[in-house]
Amino acid sequence: MNQFRKTLLGLSTAVCIMGMTAAAQADTLKIGLAGPATGPVAQYGDMQKIGVMAAIEDINKAGGINGMMLEGVIYDDACDPKQAVAVANKIVNDGVSHVVGHLCSSSTEPASDIYEEEGVLMITAASTSPSITEKGHQMVFRTIGLDSLQGSMAAQYILETAKPAKIAVIHDKQQYGEGLATAVRDQLAANDMKAVMFEGVTPGDKDFSALIAKLKKENVDFVYYGGYHPELGLILRQSAEKGFGAQFMGPEGIVNADLAKIAGEASEGVLATAPKSFDQNAINQARVEAIKAKGEDPTGPFVFTAYAAVEVMTNAMTATKSTDTEALADYIRANGIDTAIGAVKYDEKGDLTESTFLVYRLHKDGSKSPAQ
Amino acid sequence: MSEFSLYLLQQLINGLTIGSTYALIAIGYTMVYGIIGMINFAHGEIYMIGSYITFIVIAGLVSMGIVSLPIILIIALVIAMFIASTYGWAVERVAYRPLRGTNRLIPLISAIGMSIFLQNSVGISQGFRDVALPPMITGGWAFGDPADFEVTVSYMQVIIFAVTFITMTLLTLFISKSRMGRACRACAEDLGMTNLLGINTNKVIALTFIIGAALAAIAGLLLGLYYGVVNPFVGFIAGLKAFTAAVLGGIGSIPGAVLGGLVLGVTEAMTAAFFPSEYKDVVAFGLLITILLFRPSGLLGKPEIEKV
Repeated sequence: MNQFRKTLLGLSTAVCIMGMTAAAQADTLKIGLAGPATGPVAQYGDMQKIGVMAAIEDINKAGGINGMMLEGVIYDDACDPKQAVAVANKIVNDGVSHVVGHLCSSSTEPASDIYEEEGVLMITAASTSPSITEKGHQMVFRTIGLDSLQGSMAAQYILETAKPAKIAVIHDKQQYGEGLATAVRDQLAANDMKAVMFEGVTPGDKDFSALIAKLKKENVDFVYYGGYHPELGLILRQSAEKGFGAQFMGPEGIVNADLAKIAGEASEGVLATAPKSFDQNAINQARVEAIKAKGEDPTGPFVFTAYAAVEVMTNAMTATKSTDTEALADYIRANGIDTAIGAVKYDEKGDLTESTFLVYRLHKDGSKSPAQ
Repeated sequence: MSEFSLYLLQQLINGLTIGSTYALIAIGYTMVYGIIGMINFAHGEIYMIGSYITFIVIAGLVSMGIVSLPIILIIALVIAMFIASTYGWAVERVAYRPLRGTNRLIPLISAIGMSIFLQNSVGISQGFRDVALPPMITGGWAFGDPADFEVTVSYMQVIIFAVTFITMTLLTLFISKSRMGRACRACAEDLGMTNLLGINTNKVIALTFIIGAALAAIAGLLLGLYYGVVNPFVGFIAGLKAFTAAVLGGIGSIPGAVLGGLVLGVTEAMTAAFFPSEYKDVVAFGLLITILLFRPSGLLGKPEIEKV
């Protein structure tokens, strides 16, 4: 009897829940937000969340899209490729067909295969690995430039402005970091600047003293680091302790206030290629104020690329008067769209036609300024 | 000295420091294994908790206006050891004692579960991000020609090295000389028999976990200060390396854990010194396999006699 009651209770609860979701779906459109909400790089997920939520709020205030209100649903992939696949499947099962994300390139790539197959429109605001758009996927776009662009921008800066005597290229053996490091090394080599070292470190390692001693022995005066801030922060901190004073440079993965927290004084003057500071754009001033009013930080590199990702989707929805992902993808590929990061245009692969990066100098208080 | 020998010396110092950090954590692993024959996978997490407590206490004391470094460190150490020991005791009570006497695999799974639980509960309460502390003990010695190659040894490196050896010596003395240590060895010999002879084995095992956790807290404090960064996952990686060190030196042997840690650390540093640093784990674990092939019970371990 007891067993029967339990089953009955379970069934009725299930029916209730199903009923509720059905009712909610009628007049809201869910936008999936896939990225790390936990894990060592969760702050990048926060940037994406801040941008997407701000965009959704603004659009809903203005009356929504085609009579529907938007709702952001967060899916946590912890920047782990395995979890990203699980998250992508969950998104498909939940019936969400518009996704902003994922964030780490190594997560975006496996997830994008699933979205392509299931007809889910995906716009990443942060993944810069070129291979993501090289598979000919039709549902995959970005609102951020490519690694290869970022790498060549860094290489150009090194060749023309920094002009180091001896350069070392270090990376974290991950798709993003190693991809960038390889691009930088190759372009330098093509211009007769040979890196004296090209080596990988293990993400999560805490002790880089052996590597630093080696850099010191080689008299390296410039280090390009392809990777994220937790490792670079420790490398900078330990370099300062060991009297190794080379100039460091990294990609936008290191642009984060936590770099200054970890490395302290040693983070002053580090160079980085990062998306242009869109929070300075005149068009975004009201949005910046609104984000600040909520006690959140509008200056993160992915805040406005994420905002723009929502705009790309919703502008296409308004223009095509539909939420059909194929129609949206065709529209996005064919038309320029005005967004928080300026007018964006896409090529056949779903990449931006113009670079969105600039070389910055980071400061020990966590701020950054354009490098000369 | 030539540039090469200075470089070699610097890498040796680096390796010994890394090795000491492995050894500090490995001592706790090996002690628990030596006495109840169980691998306490949650040990790395206790180390991580020790680091967090140190950071919280230091931040608290500094905000209260206490600036004297020795006072801060002593208070932080005492509190970290106390809280970590409480964790160690509780982990044993909750996750291991109810499973004692069952198949060996069951407490192992329980330990892994405990490790995941602690990682995530700390993550939820303290955040999953890196928490950083500005350098507290700075400075050191430098020798060699700065234009050529300058060897640096920081005070922190020397402290870590010294503390590892002091802990190892004290613990070895405790096990071999004290009354409680004798009880520990008796438990290691034969748990059931020791119980029959009127020794409260539950108490002895609880004490083992408390001491192990206190050691992890010392490691947490020192390494927290040395690296200046902690996140909920540091315990996992550190624990893995320390466990390797304990196996390499002969699990169950305290001097073995220290020797294993140093061998592992120096191997890593030397590999990174002369090959691309990607190879350091390959060489270090290759060494582990080679040593275990020729000495299955590790460098200083006693061969396990099959009990009939």
